[in-house]
Amino acid sequence: MDFSGDDAVFGHFGATGGYALAARRAMHEFGTGPETWKKIAVGQRKWANLNPAAMMHDKPLTEADYDKARWVVEPFRLPDNCLITDGGRAVIITSLERARDLKQPPAVIMGIGQHNPSTVIAQSDWMAGPTGAGQAGQTALAMADITINDVDACQIYDCFTYTVEITLQDYGFFKPGQGGDWFDGGTIEPGGRMPVNTSGGLLSEAYFMGLTPIAEGVMQIMGRCGDRQLGPSTRTKSPEIIMCSDNGGILQSHACILLRRL
Amino acid sequence: MPYDKPLPKLNSDNLPFWEGCRQHQLRFQQCSDCGHVRWPPSDFCPQCHSNHTTRLVSKGIGRIYTFAVYRVAYHPGFTADLPYTVAVVALDEGPHMLTNIIECRTDRLRCDMPVEVVWENVDEKTTLPKFRPVFSDKA
Repeated sequence: MDFSGDDAVFGHFGATGGYALAARRAMHEFGTGPETWKKIAVGQRKWANLNPAAMMHDKPLTEADYDKARWVVEPFRLPDNCLITDGGRAVIITSLERARDLKQPPAVIMGIGQHNPSTVIAQSDWMAGPTGAGQAGQTALAMADITINDVDACQIYDCFTYTVEITLQDYGFFKPGQGGDWFDGGTIEPGGRMPVNTSGGLLSEAYFMGLTPIAEGVMQIMGRCGDRQLGPSTRTKSPEIIMCSDNGGILQSHACILLRRL
Repeated sequence: MPYDKPLPKLNSDNLPFWEGCRQHQLRFQQCSDCGHVRWPPSDFCPQCHSNHTTRLVSKGIGRIYTFAVYRVAYHPGFTADLPYTVAVVALDEGPHMLTNIIECRTDRLRCDMPVEVVWENVDEKTTLPKFRPVFSDKA
């Protein structure tokens, strides 16, 4: 991606290698790793299994499957990587005044934040964070005048499993290195206390860049998610507020958006 | 066997660096005003925006900041090398360099491991700076 000079000369290609470098540094600095990431891959797959539009709808994934999966670029195995998808997705934005008169209930934008900390990731000595999620999340929460404790569910840009961990960590859901405990016990899965990427996400539904998470956040607020709808049918809280993210480069740019029910 | 991996794309910015590599020197720009040693090359210092520079020759010693072990070849030239290691090396003088770690089993690699430059002569025009661990029994 944006490594300076001649990455290809050294056999460095594409996003998997770039995020693998970031994830390896994170393993070194705060002790994360595949034991944490497999809970993300497996948890999101359970949501995809409830989503007939998901590419991985019919393909269950167990922790044992994850452990057996082939390496791509260590420390990432195949299920740590997002999908490759042809398709499209859109969200229509209008004023709240107009939205009140529409047939469908709106999802209201209550806060946004962006932070873009770096252009040349290889020169950073903070590759393990904080990423732009730290400042962008604070900005969005401040605009919405809420705290992280008010968030009912998250739709996180998940180009790789690790991206979910570092984003939630930098948003403040847990302290560096506590992700392994936080994800344990099905936290993000159907029935969990903080559902994450309820369509299956980029890992298990489809790769529509930042529109996979945001469109799912909007759909969940609108109540249009069928078998995976947050609420009693998935043994989760009916969502009032959903936190969505997008990021670019190798964790170099970040956008956060908070949606709420009208 | 002919060399079938991508070669550096030379331009007026990076030519001094690659010419240095041919002579087994890691040459960087150092800001004459603030002292910052920069990589990649540029006309202006990213720290203080000065355009006054001098040349610094790195000792070629540093530490692995981070690394990734490729198990898939995205270019056929690398198939025979699998698994191979791409790393960011933090040189003692400051710059971070994308490079390869060689002469080390991949399961022995660690972040912050001390490394030294080792030169791979590709052809009469190109020499690549790669790195290998400096083990304490050698130091």
